[in-house]
Amino acid sequence: MASKGISIVIARCLSSLERLFSLDRGLPHGNVRWVMDGLVGALALGVVAATPAAAQEKPGAVGLGIFTFTSGPAAAYGMPGKNAADLMIDEINAKGGIGGVPVSATYVDEAQGAQGVIAEYRRLAGDTKNQVMIAALSSANCLALAPLAEQLEVPTVGWNCDTHQLLMDGKSKYVFRPNGNTVPEFIAYAIYLLDRKPDVKTVAIINPDYAFGHDAAKIFTAALKALKPDVEIVAELYPKLGSPNYQTEISRLTTARPDVVFSNLWGADLENFVRQAAPRGIFTSSQVILALGETVLQRVPLPDGVIVGVLGDGWWMSPDAKAKPETVKFAEAYKARFGEYPVFPSIKMANALIYVKAAYDVAMQKNGGKWPTRAELAAAMKGSKVETLTGTAQTRADNDGVVDQIVGVTVKTPAQQFPVIGDMVRYKGDSLMPQVGHDPLAWIATLKPEFAKSLPKPGSYK
Amino acid sequence: MLNAIIPLLLDSLASAALIFFAAVGLTLVFSVLRVLNVAHGSLYSIGGYVAASICLFIASRQLNPYLSFLALLFSAVCVAAIFGPLIERGLVRWTYGKSEAVQILITFGLFLILEDLQRVIFGVQSFYEDAPMRLLGTTSIGGVVYLNYQILLIAMALLVVVGLRLLINHTRLGRLITAVVTDREMAQSIGIDTNRIFILAFSLGVFLAALGGALATPTSGIAPGLGADTMVLAFAVAAIGGLGQIEGAALASLIVGLARVLAIYLAPSLDAVAPYAAMLIVLLIRPYGLFGSVTARRI
Repeated sequence: MASKGISIVIARCLSSLERLFSLDRGLPHGNVRWVMDGLVGALALGVVAATPAAAQEKPGAVGLGIFTFTSGPAAAYGMPGKNAADLMIDEINAKGGIGGVPVSATYVDEAQGAQGVIAEYRRLAGDTKNQVMIAALSSANCLALAPLAEQLEVPTVGWNCDTHQLLMDGKSKYVFRPNGNTVPEFIAYAIYLLDRKPDVKTVAIINPDYAFGHDAAKIFTAALKALKPDVEIVAELYPKLGSPNYQTEISRLTTARPDVVFSNLWGADLENFVRQAAPRGIFTSSQVILALGETVLQRVPLPDGVIVGVLGDGWWMSPDAKAKPETVKFAEAYKARFGEYPVFPSIKMANALIYVKAAYDVAMQKNGGKWPTRAELAAAMKGSKVETLTGTAQTRADNDGVVDQIVGVTVKTPAQQFPVIGDMVRYKGDSLMPQVGHDPLAWIATLKPEFAKSLPKPGSYK
Repeated sequence: MLNAIIPLLLDSLASAALIFFAAVGLTLVFSVLRVLNVAHGSLYSIGGYVAASICLFIASRQLNPYLSFLALLFSAVCVAAIFGPLIERGLVRWTYGKSEAVQILITFGLFLILEDLQRVIFGVQSFYEDAPMRLLGTTSIGGVVYLNYQILLIAMALLVVVGLRLLINHTRLGRLITAVVTDREMAQSIGIDTNRIFILAFSLGVFLAALGGALATPTSGIAPGLGADTMVLAFAVAAIGGLGQIEGAALASLIVGLARVLAIYLAPSLDAVAPYAAMLIVLLIRPYGLFGSVTARRI
């Protein structure tokens, strides 16, 4: 126990030291900073690696570092994730925790920027109590944290990392993503659109100006071009993340007169766009696709017929979800506690926690009931197949997750005061992903119209 | 051809109107007090939050929805009445005669405090209240549907330009302000209460910032961070127009609005940099802005 205490103190000192340097104080020279970062990283690695025996003793609490946006415009998306984590952790603890140990989370606000997020990650990783990180929401932060997770050998579960670039090299040992990625997510929209509107000729895109927005546009466009080569992209707009006003963009979209407007705006940006675009007729003049539209169904009066989805299978009202008593219980408990039903970021977070708990269970089963090390937890996640609230998360050899994709359109129902998703399809996750090691964009270019025809049709998921 | 130009012009004017409200208060305060108020953006967002809160109250009590238009004006008056004298007497007056760096640092500190205050009071989620926008409906111009509220904003911006010019040129208060701007010491020596003029001018600047935030609320959401974005843009406009120039701010808003709109229509990837590229070009040609001039420093 003494060695464990000492190692924690040293790790904390080192992470504090590194944080000091990360503020650029007194390090005018890039090389000096590089050397210091390397030294601190190596020492932290040494401390962490030197304490496996200590880590196998049952701790007082299972520490989780959970990264999400709790402030700024992105909080509209991040807070439902945090709410779900709070609820799931309470539920896990009410049932005795993990292996009899209560779960305790430390939340990190991603709104502070990548530099701060990295410093917080190092600080949390320096404490061996925090065996797993659930990080992060932003694809940019996921990409920044992935090398660190490998360096520090901390199992890191990307609860909302969507960028397909995250695990492309196939060499990751400690980074896992029990969700889909941008490839299946946005191919699904292209296939659904062509099934529902086969005569589409022109498409306009409005996505946020960072990796997620540009990647999504690239994948959606590539899939459309492969499946229907005569489709023309008539406008591509990338407003700054966090823009409050889209009036000029809406005028531009209107003047382009596209058959389809595609968007993966999210959080407050999406709410702003919908509120501003609806009265100006965008939803009546074009078929609109809002890739993250489910997140605003309870907050914004979306008209009927808008193509929306959940970037995976995480809809609490899907037939599979409604058939699971624990999902129904979770949704009702969420509504009772937070005043509205969970949105898909909530489900993704809840599923990530289920994934982590399953890894603990498997790791302890494998090592005879002893408390697992970080390495044993990572090994338990590798290739795992976990039943989630809304389906199954299969982890591939490259640590990427395979989940189904649900897409549909907004419809009104007497059962709810807000629009829900109707005319749904549920695509098998593996049918929309290239094999491990294949370049996704090159694979998308090989898709043929026959491929789309072989998939389930809108309305088939009931 | 006309169908292509009309949306460009209307979008530029609508965009300029929103930017103008943010910038004109900043430039007015600078012209009278010679202080660049970095907290100006926060007062803009506070105006927005207060307006949205009052409009939401009106909606929740099912009062006459047209009261929300009055609420936009009322919220700006409230913010100016509370924050104007408080900030000017409590903080800004201590910076008079100090270097620009000190003034900027002190008002930057105020900006940070006000930003956190907003988070504490209004939370981190976005605020929306679009009743005034919905009440006015839409109009189709050149094949594009515009909100009548956008046209109202353009009219309001013009009204503010004319109103401010009338205030400065044709009222007693305006003449007193002009006297203080022209020669502060001489104005004091002939018995003008400069402290009172400073409070009124600063409060008028706060009112214009809060009015900008309030008028923007029905078409945009308000979220933490809006103050910083607004401040940067307002400063670019004030610099282009020439610090302290009301008509300069109006023309600069139009230039920035046009630059942004042209970027969105023709080169969307340049959207974010367009206003600052415009600023750079103008300042390279006229370092004191379009309407600014070099003034001799009195000893």
